[in-house]
Amino acid sequence: MSNRAAARTDILQGTLDIMVLQTLNTLGPVHGYAIAARLEQVSNGAIHLNMGTLYPGLMRLEQRGLVRGKWGVTENNRKARFYAITAAGRRQLAAEKADWERTASIMHALLNEPQ
Amino acid sequence: MTPREWASRLWATFRRTRTDRDLEEELRAHLELAVDEERRRGNAEGSAARTAGLRVGAVAQAMDAQRDQRGLRWLEDLSRDVGFACRTLRKAPGFTVVAMLTLALGIGANSAMFGVINAVLLRPLPFPSPARLAAVASIDLRATAGASGSASWPDFFDWRSTARTFEHLSAYRETGFTLVDGGRAFHVPGAVVTSDLLSTLGVKPALGRAFRADEERAGADVALISDPIWRSQFAAAPDIVGRAVTLNSRRFTIVGVMPPAFHFPVSVPAAQVWITNAEDARVDNPADSPMTAERGAHFIKVIGRLSATASVASAQAELEVIAAALARAHPDESGNRGVRVASELDRLVGDTRQPLFVLLAAVGCVLLIACVNLANLLLARGAGRGREMALRRALGASGRRIVGQLLTESLVLAALGTGCGLALAYGSIALLVRLAPATVRGLDQVTIDGVVVAFTAVIGGVSALIFGLIPAFQTARTDPAISAAATGRATQGRGQRRLRGALVVAETAIGVVLLVGAGLLLRSFDRLLHTAPGFEPEHLVTATFRLPDSRYPYQKQIAFYDDVLSDLRALPGVEEAAATAPLPLSGSRYSISFQQLGAQRPQSERLSADFGMVSPGYFRTLHVPLLRGRDFSEADSDAAPRVVIVNDRFARQYFGDADPIGQRIKPGLSTTETETPWREIVGVVGDVRHRSLSEESGPAYFVPYAQGLISPLYLVVRTDNTTGVVEDVRRTLARRDPELALYNVKTMEEYVATSVATPRFQTLLLALFAAFGLTLTAIGLYGVMAYGVAQRRREFGIRLALGARPGEVLGLVIRGALALTATGLIVGVVASALATRMLASTLYGVDSLDPATFAGVAAMLIAVALVASYVPARRATRVDPIAALRSE
Repeated sequence: MSNRAAARTDILQGTLDIMVLQTLNTLGPVHGYAIAARLEQVSNGAIHLNMGTLYPGLMRLEQRGLVRGKWGVTENNRKARFYAITAAGRRQLAAEKADWERTASIMHALLNEPQ
Repeated sequence: MTPREWASRLWATFRRTRTDRDLEEELRAHLELAVDEERRRGNAEGSAARTAGLRVGAVAQAMDAQRDQRGLRWLEDLSRDVGFACRTLRKAPGFTVVAMLTLALGIGANSAMFGVINAVLLRPLPFPSPARLAAVASIDLRATAGASGSASWPDFFDWRSTARTFEHLSAYRETGFTLVDGGRAFHVPGAVVTSDLLSTLGVKPALGRAFRADEERAGADVALISDPIWRSQFAAAPDIVGRAVTLNSRRFTIVGVMPPAFHFPVSVPAAQVWITNAEDARVDNPADSPMTAERGAHFIKVIGRLSATASVASAQAELEVIAAALARAHPDESGNRGVRVASELDRLVGDTRQPLFVLLAAVGCVLLIACVNLANLLLARGAGRGREMALRRALGASGRRIVGQLLTESLVLAALGTGCGLALAYGSIALLVRLAPATVRGLDQVTIDGVVVAFTAVIGGVSALIFGLIPAFQTARTDPAISAAATGRATQGRGQRRLRGALVVAETAIGVVLLVGAGLLLRSFDRLLHTAPGFEPEHLVTATFRLPDSRYPYQKQIAFYDDVLSDLRALPGVEEAAATAPLPLSGSRYSISFQQLGAQRPQSERLSADFGMVSPGYFRTLHVPLLRGRDFSEADSDAAPRVVIVNDRFARQYFGDADPIGQRIKPGLSTTETETPWREIVGVVGDVRHRSLSEESGPAYFVPYAQGLISPLYLVVRTDNTTGVVEDVRRTLARRDPELALYNVKTMEEYVATSVATPRFQTLLLALFAAFGLTLTAIGLYGVMAYGVAQRRREFGIRLALGARPGEVLGLVIRGALALTATGLIVGVVASALATRMLASTLYGVDSLDPATFAGVAAMLIAVALVASYVPARRATRVDPIAALRSE
């Protein structure tokens, strides 16, 4: 992977984390497809995750102890892995949310300076 | 990556926590859910699948991404490469064993050599803050290097009281004592030290106390003993402090016991008893002056602990000023004396540094040659793996991965070689230590410790890069288009042939450097052994004993030596018997300054020369020629006029062409006289190589011991029966006084051998390494020639078919080999000319550009090249033209 591509993936991974955590926080334990569907819905089709992005991201969150995965069965009797947010994940979510909001308000103030 | 993530991924590399099947199931579930949704949206079956696939991505690629996230990619690649490398090596056992052994030899030798350097040069002295210990040498400013550096007591006392750059300054001299235990007298090595020595070293006694400052005055007979003596002589008695010990027939009070590991002075054998310099402050006759007042008598060594703000340089500066002031204040004894301050470690091992590093460089060269050989071997093997490489590239492996995998093979090989090398080093250390000169400090403690293992690992890794990098790149580059079509033997092209030739030239050049170095040292050592020492060391037995001052006042000592010598002369088998101190080539030197009568030199210029005490007939016993005048006789007694004999060098240096007989000199030596007497020169003897065989004799003068006895004498007995005579001598001595212990019984030849121990060690090892290097080079050349001939079978077949005579083909191959060798020789000769300058200081009687040596090496290398290329050349002539043409 070239450096630029890696950098772009990092940025995407950073926001992906917070998006997934927020979704799990809202929805409770769900499987991967549900997370992707929800994100697509909430963003009105702007966020469109394919498997190669979503699942490695979920694995990473699991390796960091921010979510926990468990095998279960979907509504149409398919074996799938359900993910739930952990306490550590909630803490991380709160921290990142605060960061985002602070950044957003600074940018907002900067970009909307009175003349 | 957080540490927790790292840990999970590391764990997953070794234990499949989530298997590939699990991952695939999850992904397929996701895909099917997507397809379901498409169907719900109204897409037909086939189009639903396709649209879903486009939306969510391919399973295979997602799997790849998952796998990368699950474990540590580089670690998995590495372990896979290592596994593959091991399998590949196992399939070619012949190559693997040869490569491993070659590496083991090179790496093991380096490891052993470094172990020696670590123990001798790098290990700090076993005292607190050892870097702050410095040695102060008193030198004659007019003398060239090589002076002993011993100081005199008055000079030392002045230094100690005025120097500020030293926290503590102490002096010591090695000596020995006769201990009487249950009727048996035996000799114990020891030292006379100042009271502050332990403070300087930073050591406390294990029991009791150190010396006090007031115990430096005459009459304070106190001693410190070593742990071994406490255990062996006193049965480790707990009440040892305050008990008495009889040394040299005098009672000393023990004030303390040193810890078991304490070893000072650092020499072999280790001192076991320490007494204060009250010993040198003592006089038997109140009219005599003690040694502590003789400013002209230089025989003590000085060691100090630098203060916190001082350095060796600042101490040198300060002491130079002090010494200059002393020189002005005492021109008679201390004029022209200066100081040299160096770290104590430097003083101990300074002169072994160069030989050891030369040896390390040599053994490094051997390893380089081994690596070059291995590189050639790998290149040859690599050429045969073209098909494998082509397949890998076709399947999508990147160039970097292929090179990485090939390098891993080299690393595995290097790891095997390093392991065997360490084992080899461990085994050969014992041998190395036995060959090495015994007096080198630290040699008895050479071990393979952590530092040595780390060094070995590093050179193993570096070797892997040296021999693995070029073959890896070359092998990876083999062109798939050509190779896939061929039968597996890639066409090398001229490039590879040139590369292999260049490698052979390189290793030949290194081999030349090694051989020239070894050759020069061998010639130098030969010259050294054939140097005339100025006397005949064969058939001479030497030994010594101490006469305790308490029972032997000065005159009685002289009489005792007289009696013992006449007893010895009467023994059967003894041709001649004499006594002297110091003994030539024993490492001891006495240097006493003297004045010359006559106006040739201004009185302020004090001269100094080697000094010796001898018995009448000493020169005859050693077969030293008497050039002028007469030898001493019994008539030169204490009552007779004072006489002196000088050596030829002395006569020429201080009297020029004039006859020195009848002239007078005044050595700073007085014993029973109230002031130092003038002594008349009565004879001139031939020069004796006193300090070492390689050093020319300095000016020396001798007095009869009856007219000046300042230290115990060595007995020298000329006899054919050097082994049997020892018991007779012991009995003779015991008959005169059973409480005397005879010790340091050695033949003069042993002293000669010890004096050449360091050059012998260096020469032997370098010759060994050169032999290794030559063998490896020959093997390398043979390998390249054999391979080249095999590659060119078709060419030889055609030549023979077209009517070339076998002799021409033979000549063709051999000329090729000679061309490579000649190139290597030229490069090697140039490199040697530069490299042997390092050896220049250790060479004796041989120039570092000695043409005979260079010519000899060239001839040897050409001969080896002819031999190594003969077999492949013969094979070239035996090629069956038809078979060769057909096989393609």
